[in-house]
Amino acid sequence: MTEFLIGRGHDGPARVGVYKMGSTKVQTPFLVGPPSTESIIGYATLGRNDSPAGGPTILAIPSPIHDSKSLISGVREDDSLLLPSFPAVSTLGTEAAEILLENQLRFIDEVQGKVDPSRLIVRIPQQFDSEKLASILAEFSSLGVRAASVSLDGWLGPHDYSALGKRTMLPIDWLTIALGRISPSSVPFLFYLGFDVFDLGYAIESASRGVRLWNLSEESITGRILPRTCSCIACADHSDLRELCRDELHTVLLRHNLNIYQSILSESIQSLRLGRLRWLVESMVHSSTAAASLLRMTDRSLFAFLEEFTPTSGQTNLSLIGPESYNSPTVKRFRDCLASRYTPPEHKKLILLLPCSARKPYSESKSHQRFIKAIEHSIGTTRSSVAETILTSPLGVIPRELERLYPAAYYDIPVTGNWDTEETEIATEALVTHLQKFAESAEVVAHVSGGYLDVVKSAEDRVNQSIVYTTDQHSPSSFDSLQSLQNVLKDMREIFSLKGGPPTLFEDTLRATADYQFGPGAGEALVPDGAKLGGKLYRMVVCRVNKEQTCAFIGDGGSLSLTLEGGRRLIPLRRYWVRFEGRKLQGGSVFAVGINEADSGIRPGDEVLVLNNQDEVIAVGRSEMSGREMCDFKKGQAVSVRHKVK
Amino acid sequence: MSDLIERLEHIIVDSTVKARGTSVAKRRRRNPTKPSAKWVAPATIGNEVGAALAVVLGTVGCSHARGDSGGCTMCSYLLDGDERSPTTDELLQQFEVALSDLADKSAPLSVKIYTSGSFFDTTEIPADARARILARIAKDERIQEVVIESRPDYVTPELMRETRNILGSRRIEIGVGLESSNDAIRSICINKGFSLGTFKNSVANAKEYDIGVRAYVLLKPPFLTERDALLDAVKTIEDAAKLGVSTVSMNPINIQKYTLVERLWLKEQYRPPWLWTVLSVLREAWDKVGSSVNILCEPVAAGKPRGAHNCGSCDESITSAIREFSIHQDVSVFDSLDCDCMRQWHHVLNHEDISLLIHSRSRRKRVGKA
Repeated sequence: MTEFLIGRGHDGPARVGVYKMGSTKVQTPFLVGPPSTESIIGYATLGRNDSPAGGPTILAIPSPIHDSKSLISGVREDDSLLLPSFPAVSTLGTEAAEILLENQLRFIDEVQGKVDPSRLIVRIPQQFDSEKLASILAEFSSLGVRAASVSLDGWLGPHDYSALGKRTMLPIDWLTIALGRISPSSVPFLFYLGFDVFDLGYAIESASRGVRLWNLSEESITGRILPRTCSCIACADHSDLRELCRDELHTVLLRHNLNIYQSILSESIQSLRLGRLRWLVESMVHSSTAAASLLRMTDRSLFAFLEEFTPTSGQTNLSLIGPESYNSPTVKRFRDCLASRYTPPEHKKLILLLPCSARKPYSESKSHQRFIKAIEHSIGTTRSSVAETILTSPLGVIPRELERLYPAAYYDIPVTGNWDTEETEIATEALVTHLQKFAESAEVVAHVSGGYLDVVKSAEDRVNQSIVYTTDQHSPSSFDSLQSLQNVLKDMREIFSLKGGPPTLFEDTLRATADYQFGPGAGEALVPDGAKLGGKLYRMVVCRVNKEQTCAFIGDGGSLSLTLEGGRRLIPLRRYWVRFEGRKLQGGSVFAVGINEADSGIRPGDEVLVLNNQDEVIAVGRSEMSGREMCDFKKGQAVSVRHKVK
Repeated sequence: MSDLIERLEHIIVDSTVKARGTSVAKRRRRNPTKPSAKWVAPATIGNEVGAALAVVLGTVGCSHARGDSGGCTMCSYLLDGDERSPTTDELLQQFEVALSDLADKSAPLSVKIYTSGSFFDTTEIPADARARILARIAKDERIQEVVIESRPDYVTPELMRETRNILGSRRIEIGVGLESSNDAIRSICINKGFSLGTFKNSVANAKEYDIGVRAYVLLKPPFLTERDALLDAVKTIEDAAKLGVSTVSMNPINIQKYTLVERLWLKEQYRPPWLWTVLSVLREAWDKVGSSVNILCEPVAAGKPRGAHNCGSCDESITSAIREFSIHQDVSVFDSLDCDCMRQWHHVLNHEDISLLIHSRSRRKRVGKA
């Protein structure tokens, strides 16, 4: 019996786990290559290579034009088998691909009783109708198959793009193997997309061509250029590789190339644990134009897949460095959620647009403290009528109430003052959508300059409210600008005859956060009128209704933690629920094995309600996986329980 | 597996027909009184050195390639032919033109008649034309060997009797494209349109009249990995020898225009065999059956992108070793060959089986659009 268990921790579709081949447990992700290459799982062709001694092996069954069934009996119990297919199938069209996939199904049938299907690996054809693929894969699943391989040609062009598309259609609890030409720079990207096993073929091919591989580039050792210095264990003793004889050079290059793969894979795994895998992927796509296009295309068309497994909370600094970040799942999801879930409080009559700051949350930055001082100086307690709205790239707009939220409080961008066209467009779009949520009678005060000002100007035609500009192109935190802001705000107070009142920042923050986290309606449910709020925004604000706590706002991460009462109040929204099939929760976790149904909108890191079969809240906690995974996985921790019914 | 062949067959036929496109209909008009090609080369005939004339008669072309089945996945020889079928007189004129090249040669001579199809197919060569061409040869005492090409379906007892009767005691060999002894490969990868049984019959029919069969063995049909191809060619040569063929001619694929193989090659879904593979097949096959049958190999376009090739720097020396082998049947000519690219080839042999990725060329940076 062979088994793939997915462990805890997510960063996009990337995951870590254990592939149990008989009694051998292999940590995923791992590298596969010819058995001569050390410290990896070996592969070989059934009946063509001597079956390697030692640990378990992945064996390829030869082309279906040969009858290989008789060879199966010689296979060891812990070996996995790649089902038979042949090359260039995709050029014959989808019908041929389908025939070959069905032929793999038939093969399983024919070796029934001789090989446990859990040891078999489906070869996914390049060209295939999505719906049909899903239904055929379901047949493989029902037979007990739990692994698939996808072949990549390494050009990172249309062929590889379609291979990635196929990967997203595989059952999520299957081991996924990337075979073919995989350069070191593609390893983090493929890992990010949820591949668990990587072919070392390219390391071997490159060594055979006299090429030394690096993370981002390749170096041909046969040229006239002095080879680079490398301190890896393979190269360290050789100051000039060109002096080596052919066989020695090959040995060095092979070992070096394998080292590179091991190091990039371990960097990828560590990045996943630190929540920085996306950053690693983005920073490595500049190895080639093809890699950059592939990531951008993936972000666009496979967004739903990437987003589904991207955690919604985190406390890691998020470096958004280039255009690849503009539509990364965390960033785009923030913009989308803000657009669809945020509703401005009715008492906001003025919208004050402010520039972002490097320091997060913004209100703790020098510039924003000046802005706040100017507001309070000029209109005092009327501040609660002002919707302070921060313009930023690439998150778009951030209402003051949500400034502590992840990722708003954790992102960082290179600041030059220049915005590129795409950034401007993204922010413009976000601003237009945001302002549509306010009454036409509200007034927009744009206290911005430079690129921020360009955003406001380009939005102006599509904005219903009138806009007052306060900076006269000067820096918003300059004395003149602040003076002008104060004057404008005072005028506005007169014109709109705004009245002061008690500060609403706590209510506004908790309600907006609730809506953002749980969808529209949650704010009212958790923080109804008359709720008592107490604490500090930078630490914790507790919300009590009739002396019973519903939720608490946690400054770090800017999100709400629910109590059981809070959970009950959210039931009518029918979102973020997980149904527990067991009788009683044991310990501090809900495991995937006990869940058959869950809201498919759940992402890792979400605050969720655990319901019993009577739709009663029996616990609240934090999800460790996405809703689909909770339903499909047989093992693993699904929810970390915060409170449960005694 | 037979089910797999059945289900894939029509797809292969469609793809072959599609690759053919309008090329067959748009064939260039040619002079019907001149052969498509002819050449004379020194050759070993019996135990003596003489000259061999090869003539490619211009006909309407191979019936299999002309028909609805699209023909073989790698072959477009029929494009040498003409839409209009030449008359019997014209065919004879073609043959006379070629034969005149032997005017000043002395015995022993060999004549090889090719048609880009089947000499025994009456839709290409009418029965009277065939009889008159063979009779013309029979008149020439210098000609001691005749080689004819045909698909096996046309190698019938009647035709063998007729051929033997006309040509008398001359050594006769019929070249038949067996390509592979594996029915699945011959059908799915080559679209050859006949079974191993048909080939076996042709060998038996020919043998009845003491006529030999020269089996053409194809190296690396499409949809095979490099190692699939290597193993299949060795196995085929072995099988052919067991079936009693008189000679084996091993042909590494060359990429011909308007074929499915060309389409695949253009999409980097096919690479002609490595010369190392050619060499391995010859060496392994010779080890197994070299004592019972001669194995010939004249790789077309060797060293070029469209032919069997290696890295570029060793291609010439390997190609000439292969030629040398063909003449002397001595595998020791391969012993000293070596090149840096042999490691790459070893990698391809192993890795294509695992990844099913065609290693069409080394991955290099493409020129961007900017």
